Amino acid sequence: MFDMMEYHKTLRDHKVTLVYTGPLWAEGIGGVATTLKKRLEYDNLPLETSQEVFSVFVEQMNNMLMYSKESELFTAPDDLHSAAPKGTFILGTLGKAYYIHTGNIMKNDSAELIKNRIDHLNTLDKKELRKFFKEQTRLEDDNPDSKGAGLGFIEIARRISSKIEYDFKPYEDGYTFFTMYVTIGGGAE
Amino acid sequence: MPYHLERAKTDLTPYVLIDEEKGYMKLEGESYHENVFEFFQEIRSWLSTYLKTDFDSFTFDCELKYFNSSTVKILLGMLLEMDAADNSGNITVNWITTRNNMIIIECGEDFEEDLENLTFNLIAN
Repeated sequence: MFDMMEYHKTLRDHKVTLVYTGPLWAEGIGGVATTLKKRLEYDNLPLETSQEVFSVFVEQMNNMLMYSKESELFTAPDDLHSAAPKGTFILGTLGKAYYIHTGNIMKNDSAELIKNRIDHLNTLDKKELRKFFKEQTRLEDDNPDSKGAGLGFIEIARRISSKIEYDFKPYEDGYTFFTMYVTIGGGAE
Repeated sequence: MPYHLERAKTDLTPYVLIDEEKGYMKLEGESYHENVFEFFQEIRSWLSTYLKTDFDSFTFDCELKYFNSSTVKILLGMLLEMDAADNSGNITVNWITTRNNMIIIECGEDFEEDLENLTFNLIAN
């Protein structure tokens, strides 16, 4: 049986304030977003920090929704069966800063693409990121598969106070487990 | 019949008001639905048709508190289309936010750089 006390201790030791794991779909993300907003209100942060945390949450949830291939069949409230991608999202505190840690399974070729994108973003400073974001939004790119040409990762890079840390571990054949770790606020900029 | 659309805001999508008779459009609230393209489809298709007409004045009040990166692309698309209209000189866009909302302010500044014909007011109260 799942050791709830151990789990509780782990969460406490890592100062985790919010965990979400399971199917990802737009309306579901809305529910978690509402919880996150309440949590950030409770922490009484400057608008800038709470917006940064919220923005990284939204973009990374959308990223996971887009790239996560670990679908499961679940029953929606209206009894319609639909396959939704899965992922895990953790928000915690680190001194005065927040951290966001996420994990999801993706195809190996998506992993390659994402690794290259992040490596590039990690070389840019905030001013360059703003410029790069602007350039990418102005690309004539209506291919629905590219869904904004990686805008989500650029937006994350703009809002965090760290670089984007990541890990890609081989999963089953053809698949990779992607972990992303970033910190926000805390005056570390 | 002039087009009229009013949509209540949800957690993920903004309040929308389009009053063609008055030449007015307003967005208010937040926009971060994963499928934001679909949400804006009807609005964009009305706008494209409207911009080709001989309107006297058109005002767009954009009072969004937060939007995701996909929404940025849609807003930019709409603004560039307005700016390219024959009557673009009759268009006023009010980009309304609060002084501490840096995400929205920076986005407005970046948009403004690319708009040549319409009147763009960045209002940070």
